[in-house]
Amino acid sequence: MSEMERDGLNESISRRELLLRAGRGSAYLGVMSLLAACGVEGQRAEDTTEREPLPPQAGELVMANWPLYIDKSGPTSPTVTSFEEQHGIDMSYKVVINDNEEFFGTIREPLSQGQSAGYDIIVMTDWMIDKMERLGYLEPLHHDRLPNFADNALPKFKDPIYDPGNAHSIPWAAGITGIGYDISETGRELTSVNDLFDPAFAGRVGMFLEMRDTFDLVLLSMGVEPADATIEQVEQAQKILLDNRENIRGFYGNDYADQLATGNLIASMAWSGDIFALQLDNPNLRFVIPEEGGNAWTDNMAIPAGAEHPTDAHLFMDYVYDPRIAANITEWVWYESPVAGVQQIVQEDVAEGGPGYLKKLAESTLVFPTPETEANTHPYKALEEEEEQVWNDLFQQVIQG
Amino acid sequence: MAYWLLLPGGLWLLLFYVIPTVSMLSISLQEGTLEQGYRLTWNLGIYGEVLLAHDTQILRSLGYGLITTVVCLLIAYPLSYTIAIRGGRWKNVLLFLVILPFFVSFIIRTLSWKFVLADEGIFLGALKSLGVLGEDFRLLGTATAVLGGLIYGFLPFMALPLYVSLEKMDPSLLDAASDLYSSRVSAFLRVTLPLSLPGIFAGTLLTFIPATGDFINAQILGGPNQTMIGNVIQREYLTNNDFPEAAALSFLLMAAILFGIFLYARAIGTEELTG
Amino acid sequence: MRRRWVLPVYTTIVLVYLFLPIGVMILFGFNDIEGRFNFAWQGFTLRWYGELFDIPDLADALRNSLLVAAGSTVVATALGTMIALALTRHRFRGQASTNLFIFLPMATPEVVLGASLLSLFVTAGVSRGFVTILIAHIMFNISYVVVTVKARTAGFNNEWEEAAKDLGATPWTAFRTVTFPLIFPGVLAAAVLAFALSVDDYVITLFNAGQTLTFPLWVVGASRFGVPPQVNVMGTLIFIFGVALALAVVPLQRRRYRLPTAQAMPPISRG
Repeated sequence: MSEMERDGLNESISRRELLLRAGRGSAYLGVMSLLAACGVEGQRAEDTTEREPLPPQAGELVMANWPLYIDKSGPTSPTVTSFEEQHGIDMSYKVVINDNEEFFGTIREPLSQGQSAGYDIIVMTDWMIDKMERLGYLEPLHHDRLPNFADNALPKFKDPIYDPGNAHSIPWAAGITGIGYDISETGRELTSVNDLFDPAFAGRVGMFLEMRDTFDLVLLSMGVEPADATIEQVEQAQKILLDNRENIRGFYGNDYADQLATGNLIASMAWSGDIFALQLDNPNLRFVIPEEGGNAWTDNMAIPAGAEHPTDAHLFMDYVYDPRIAANITEWVWYESPVAGVQQIVQEDVAEGGPGYLKKLAESTLVFPTPETEANTHPYKALEEEEEQVWNDLFQQVIQG
Repeated sequence: MAYWLLLPGGLWLLLFYVIPTVSMLSISLQEGTLEQGYRLTWNLGIYGEVLLAHDTQILRSLGYGLITTVVCLLIAYPLSYTIAIRGGRWKNVLLFLVILPFFVSFIIRTLSWKFVLADEGIFLGALKSLGVLGEDFRLLGTATAVLGGLIYGFLPFMALPLYVSLEKMDPSLLDAASDLYSSRVSAFLRVTLPLSLPGIFAGTLLTFIPATGDFINAQILGGPNQTMIGNVIQREYLTNNDFPEAAALSFLLMAAILFGIFLYARAIGTEELTG
Repeated sequence: MRRRWVLPVYTTIVLVYLFLPIGVMILFGFNDIEGRFNFAWQGFTLRWYGELFDIPDLADALRNSLLVAAGSTVVATALGTMIALALTRHRFRGQASTNLFIFLPMATPEVVLGASLLSLFVTAGVSRGFVTILIAHIMFNISYVVVTVKARTAGFNNEWEEAAKDLGATPWTAFRTVTFPLIFPGVLAAAVLAFALSVDDYVITLFNAGQTLTFPLWVVGASRFGVPPQVNVMGTLIFIFGVALALAVVPLQRRRYRLPTAQAMPPISRG
C-alpha cells in the first residue's frame, strides 16, 4: 500500500466515526481510567519456548531507521529498490529514529497495550534491544528464515551479551565510541579520556548525553570494566565528571559533530563513522580509541511485537546480509558492517575505480577494525531496570545543573 | 447564549485536553516502573519530592520566562506601536513581515542561530579579530544564548497581541491626548499605554507561559547549567521512564504558572481586560 | 516633530534582527558542499534547487504540514473566537474560572501532553496519522486563539450589534456586518499565530503522528549533521511564498475597521 493510500485510510475515518469511537473511547477510557487509577500491569517478559509460525508473505514492509544509515541515490535507496524488485514487496523505509529513547517513547504506548507499533523492522542500539526484550516488546526471530545471517555474519556479532542467541535481533551496523579531536587546535595527540579534562582545553570539550557512552569511557579510564561495574564505581565516575564539569562545554547528542567541525569544540567523545565522514572535509580531525579502552556498540534490526508483516521483515533482514548488498550499504554509511567479506568487496570496488573516498574507506580501521583495535573496545553493561535507574539518576545530576 | 458559544470549543478541549490531563494527574500519583507496572498509591508526597529535587530548574525556568517576557515587551512595544500607529498603508505588510520568519521551521531558525553564534562565526569571529571581545568569549552554551533564543522565538507572540490592541485605538484620541498633555511622554503614559493594556496582558501571558515551559532553546543553545524544567520533564519521561515524576513536575509547572496569572490578572484588573 | 525617524529606524533594526537566521538559511541553500556537512561556506551553486525533491518524503511531509496547519487554523480560530466572544461579551457563571483555565493548555509541557493524548488514542483504538495530528493541533491552538482575540474584543460593547438588530437585522447579519469586521484584525492575528504554531509543532506531533511525516519531523530527521542545503532551500521557498502572500495583501488595504470614538474612550476611573 502506498503512503498516499495509507494516509487516505486514516482520512477516511469520518468525523462521525471518530465521534462514535471517541464516545466509545471515552466510556472505555472511563473504565480504563478507573483501572489505570488502580495501576497498570507490569510488562516483565515471560519465558516462552513456544512460538507461532510465520504467516505467509504479505507483500508489504514498513521499516524505521536512523538518518544516513542506508545507501542513497536521489530520493530512494538502491538497496530498498532492489529488494522490492527481487521479492515483489512494497517497502516503506522511514527515517524517523533520531534517538533511542525518543523513538521508544513514541512506540511504547501501543506496544504496552498489545497493539502494533506500526513498524515491522526497527533499528535500535543494543541496550535498547535488551530493554525492549525484557519488556516483551520484541518478536522472537525465526532463524530458519535468516540463512544469510547464519552464513555471513561475523562471529563477534553472533550471540551477543545483550541478546543471547540473537533471539530477537541481528546487527545492522556497529561502531566505536572514542575521542574525536582537531589536532590543529589541540596541538598534540590525545590518547586518553583524561585528556578531555586537560585545563588547556577548558570549555571546548564535549561529552555525550548518552549515559552509557560517557560513564563507560570514564569507568574505563578508572581501570574498571564497564560490564562489571558496581554502583560504587559508577558513583566514583560521577564524581570525576562533576569535579571536571567546568572543563566540559556540554553534553551532546548527534550535534557534537557540527560543533567539532565548526571549532566550538576542539575535543569530544565521538562515534567512529561520524569522524570518518568529517575527516573527508577536514583532515585535521582525528579519532582515537582511548588507551584505556573505548566502547563498542551495535545498532540492531528487530521486529516489534505485533508487527503486521513479520515474514517480509525476515526477508529484508536476511537480504542485507548478502555481502554485496552489505558492501553497498557500508560504502555509503561508513559504519562497521556485521557481514563478512565486505572489506574485500570494497577493495575490489576501489580497484574498479570508485569515488575518491572509497579508497580511504577500504583502508579505514574505523570502519573495518583490526583485531588490535577490537581488543581495546568494550561492550556496555546489560543493566537491569533498577540498576539502570540508579545510573540514570547519577548521570542526570551531571548533565542537568 | 454564552454557553452555546462555549460549547464546541469546550467540548473539544474536554475530550482532547481534559481527559488526557486527568489521566496525567492519576499517573502522577502512581508508583512503579515499566517492568513492574504502576499502582495508584495516592502518593501525594511526590509533589514535595520533585519540588525539592528540581527547585533550581523550576526557579531558573520562571526566571528565564520572566526575563524573556520583559525583554520581549520592551522590544515589541515600540515595534508594534510603529506599525499600528505610524504604519499607514504598510501596516499589514509590516505585520506580516514580523510574523514571516516564524513560518520557517523553528529548527532551521535555531540551528541558524547556532551557526551565527559560533565561537569563530560571523559575529563573534569579527568582533574578536577587531579586539572587541576576548579570544575566550563564548555565547553558545551560556544563559545569554538561551535567553537570546527564547526572546527571538517569542517576539511575535508579544508583538501580535500588542499590535491588535494598539491598532484598534482611534487616532483622534491621540490627537486629543496631545492637546491635553504637554509632553508626548505624558500623553503616552496617560492615554496610549492604558488603552493598550489588554494587548500587554495578552502578550505577556502568551510569552511567559510557553517560554517558561520551553526546552528546545536550552537543549540546542545551552549547556548543563541552563537546564530548564522542560528539559527535566523531557528526560524524566523519555529516559528515566519515570512517568509519575514527569507528570508531577508538569502539574507543578502548570500550577505555578496559573498562580502567577491569577496574581497578575488581579494586579492589572481583569474587568478592564475582559469586558 | 523632531526625531520622527527614531521609530522607523528602530523598526528596521528589529526586522533585520528577525530576519538574520532567515538570511543565513537562504545563503546556505546555495552552498556548494562536497561532503555531507553544511557548516562552512564552500562556494555558490544553484544545484540544490534542482535536486530539491530528491529527498524522500519531503513532498509528503510538506503537504501534510500545510494541510494540518490549514485545517487546524480554520477550526481552532472558529472555536477559539467563539469562546473569546463568550468571555468578553457575556456574563455567565464560571466566567472567571474559564478565563483562568483557558491558559492551561499553553502551560502544559508538550512531552507529557503529547504522550497522554497518545494514550487516549491508543486506548480508544484510533490509529495514529493525519487525523490524530489534526485533532492535537486544534486542541493546543484553541487557547492561543482565545487569548489573541480577547486582546481585540476587550472592552467590547454589544450596543452596536444591538443597534443593528433594532434596525431589523437578524442576529447572524448583525454579527457578520457589525461585530465581525470590528474583531477581524484580532481573528486574523489569531489565525496567523495558530498557523505558525501548527506548522512548527514537533513534540506533540511526534507522539501522535503514527507514521505520517510532517515538516518539522522531517527536518529533524534530515538535520542530523546540521541543516542540509536541501532543507535550507525548502525553507527559503516557504519563505518566498510567505513574502509573496504578504505583498498580495497590500492592495487589500482599503477598509479600516475601527471602533467609533465614543466606544474607545477609557473609563474615567482609570485616569
